[in-house]
Amino acid sequence: MLNYVLRRLAQAGLILLGVSFITFALLYVLPADPAVQIAGRSATPETVASIRAQLGLDQPLLAQYWNYLSNLAQGDFGRSYLQKTEVSTLIQSRIGPSLSLMFFAILIELIIGLSAGIYSAMRRGKLSDNVVMVSSFIAISAPQFIISIFVLYIFAVKLGWFPIGGYGRPIHYVLPALTLGILGSGWYSRVMRSSMIDVLRQDYIRTARAKGAPISRIIRVHAFKNAVLPIIAMIGLDIGIFMGGIVVVESVFGWPGIGQLAWQAIQRVDIPIIMAVTLVSAIAIVIGNLIADLIAPFVDPRIRLK
Amino acid sequence: MKTFKQIMRRKVAAVCLVVIFLIFTAAIFAPLLAPYSPNEQFKDGLTLQGAPIAPNSQYLLGTDLLGRDLLSRLIYGARTSLVVGILANGVALLLGTTIGLVAGYLRGRLGSLIMRVTDLMMAFPALLLAITLAAIFSPSLLIVALVIAMVNWVQVARVIYTQTIAISEREFVEASRSIGASNRRILVKHILPHLMPTILVWGTLGIATTVLLEATLSFLGIGVRPPTPSWGNIIFENQTYFITAPWLVFIPGLAIITLALCFNLLGDTLRDELDPTQRGRQ
Amino acid sequence: MSNILELSNVRKEFHTSSSKRAIVAVDNISLKLEKGKTLGIVGESGSGKSTLGRLMLRLIEPSAGEIKFDDVNLLNLKNTELRKMRSKMQMIFQDPMSSLNPRMSIRQLISEPLEIHKNLKASEQNFAVEEIITKVGLEVSALDKYPHEFSGGQRQRISIARAVINNPSLVVADEPVSALDVSIQSQILNLLMDLRNDLNLSFVFISHDLSVVRHIADEVAVMYLGNIVEIAPADQLFQNPQHPYTQALISAIPQVEKEKRVSRMILKGDIPNPADAPPGCNFHPRCPIAIDKCSSITPALKITGSDHLTSCHLVNEAVSE
Repeated sequence: MLNYVLRRLAQAGLILLGVSFITFALLYVLPADPAVQIAGRSATPETVASIRAQLGLDQPLLAQYWNYLSNLAQGDFGRSYLQKTEVSTLIQSRIGPSLSLMFFAILIELIIGLSAGIYSAMRRGKLSDNVVMVSSFIAISAPQFIISIFVLYIFAVKLGWFPIGGYGRPIHYVLPALTLGILGSGWYSRVMRSSMIDVLRQDYIRTARAKGAPISRIIRVHAFKNAVLPIIAMIGLDIGIFMGGIVVVESVFGWPGIGQLAWQAIQRVDIPIIMAVTLVSAIAIVIGNLIADLIAPFVDPRIRLK
Repeated sequence: MKTFKQIMRRKVAAVCLVVIFLIFTAAIFAPLLAPYSPNEQFKDGLTLQGAPIAPNSQYLLGTDLLGRDLLSRLIYGARTSLVVGILANGVALLLGTTIGLVAGYLRGRLGSLIMRVTDLMMAFPALLLAITLAAIFSPSLLIVALVIAMVNWVQVARVIYTQTIAISEREFVEASRSIGASNRRILVKHILPHLMPTILVWGTLGIATTVLLEATLSFLGIGVRPPTPSWGNIIFENQTYFITAPWLVFIPGLAIITLALCFNLLGDTLRDELDPTQRGRQ
Repeated sequence: MSNILELSNVRKEFHTSSSKRAIVAVDNISLKLEKGKTLGIVGESGSGKSTLGRLMLRLIEPSAGEIKFDDVNLLNLKNTELRKMRSKMQMIFQDPMSSLNPRMSIRQLISEPLEIHKNLKASEQNFAVEEIITKVGLEVSALDKYPHEFSGGQRQRISIARAVINNPSLVVADEPVSALDVSIQSQILNLLMDLRNDLNLSFVFISHDLSVVRHIADEVAVMYLGNIVEIAPADQLFQNPQHPYTQALISAIPQVEKEKRVSRMILKGDIPNPADAPPGCNFHPRCPIAIDKCSSITPALKITGSDHLTSCHLVNEAVSE
């Protein structure tokens, strides 16, 4: 058991190292010369050279990587070329909104997804089951950013029920979290449904039914905790999916998180910021997967035996 | 009930196929179908204040911010989206299958190494990676397609890898070795045919992903650049008129959703038909 | 009379990630097979007989030892050379369903050895394929069908056809009839014997069923947990089994005729996990005549009769007296 934990931790560490190397490689493989970008168009070659030296760009590649790595470890993501500020400050100020949105989105996904899944499993084969499954399917296939735009238009612009994007009061959370929540619930409802179907087929459920227990109690006490096991692992993966859409979602809803930061940086081709956001997302994904993998054996004893 | 569902699924898949076929046809015959040139800016395409015109008898879907006919741009946009989507998916399939096949058959150190690399790539959210790559390299249709392919091959490789391992362990592969078949022969004649259903499924599902990715990148302004129309960049260009001329955003948006949905449904049906043991719905 | 197959001190270990100890599937086996003869290898599951069969053809790599086929050291061959060699040494697998590629037609399956090793014109290839399919007792119309359209016995005939189409010198059959119904078994056995005589094959017949091996083998080796415990010409083995394990196996063969019935020797316990092989003689925990020595010292194969070798302390001592 301890073996498994240690192995997973080491694996995660290695992946993080690899991720940092790839981001470093991309950053320094750029055709655009960062020194020139910072110095501006009218700079003399000497200025460019001195900026180069300042940034440490004239050192051998491995030395640069080492600097990069040690900076990262201290939380230094470099400086934005164009904003003349530390990238880490920018990220720090914006990671809060992103994380809180992710939290609520996943919460809603779970609430909707799990209930839909259970509902569907119990009415298996009937029309309501089909409706739920088709809706889940559409939820999965629909592109997040387009649905977000539609939702914004209908509920904020036309109906005026909600502010058109922005941040600050609880009401600002509603549209983005609900949109993401409903779309993401599709995954959970499908997995929950098949998991629940499998569990309900088990003998111990039949025994409980034969003993006359009401179905709600059966689900609450017996079925749910067994059916929910695969979901736990999914949450970790969900973080990755969330990170994938974060740029567009935040830009559509005007959400001041790291996604919007990246979007602004894209418009201005501010590479260090883009890289930093990518790196942070990758770290979030690795941590999410790690947590999912570490929780799984506790929740499902069968995995422990592996 | 189960048979009803089967029939429904088939019908739905048939409908999807028809829709996809229509979109394809529109894309191929764009010059014949589009009422106007997609890049032509019409003087009467804008209001006196310079705003886009709503759908009317002359411009069936209205005009965009530069007075260009939306319908024409939409039809030509289908071309772009499909070309990029299919090209990207094709490259991703080729790359992913080859890598997964080799890694799965050879296994050992090389195989694990390759799979570690894919693990690594999966740590990056696809969109952000695509954004980074697209921002680094100068834009062009080809580059966009390649960037998308670079991001998408990983999933294919992992699936093919697992399947190749499973197939390699089957006795008929050992039997082929025992009659003296070379590795190449085994891979091509014995293993690859067994992978075909998977490749077909992923080929279909993959197009949904690539089309969406292209739309997203174009929406962010780093995919296909205007004036070449793509459904994504039409939305991008016309963002500011979102409130006053919502059709400019909704119509291409609807088109994107339809295409993605159809490919997804088709792929899902294919998967259920060809391999009922995989993560189907029942 | 030269040997078609010579194994010297062949050993195969499997390493698993969970246990530190290696599983010894084949423990230091040496044997020879003369050209044109049939060797039967008998043992229960876990005895290592299938592993041995695959080692003989170098389908898996030995951990130690030498394998010589027709005086050629298989281990020295490079991959391309080994592949070419394969046309002369073939294997028939136990499960005819899984050893035939379900997506290939019978014609494709049987032609494959020809395509790999010979460069025949289409008409010549078709002729050879049709000839062999009739030889194994199936009709030419079978060629255009697929494996799942046939019964187990028919599929095994197809496997046999594929194995002999290139006229090999050696055929190793790994439990070729175990997966078949009893009524079919004798048909397939007869087919194998006919082919063996027609094509002058040297044969290795692996089985857990002694009564099957009896009819087909010239010489029989009995395996237990990776070792050969007894090897002798077939009739000698059956008339005069010396190793207690062999005796138990033979006593378990059901006999119809009352006079032939032997009182059953029941062995204690089950066959142990190969990862946990008992020290000394592998068999000692279950052996009815085990003595102290058996739990510490491993017995060696020693001559205990004409062409008869046994690996048992008590038998060896009795003979040397």
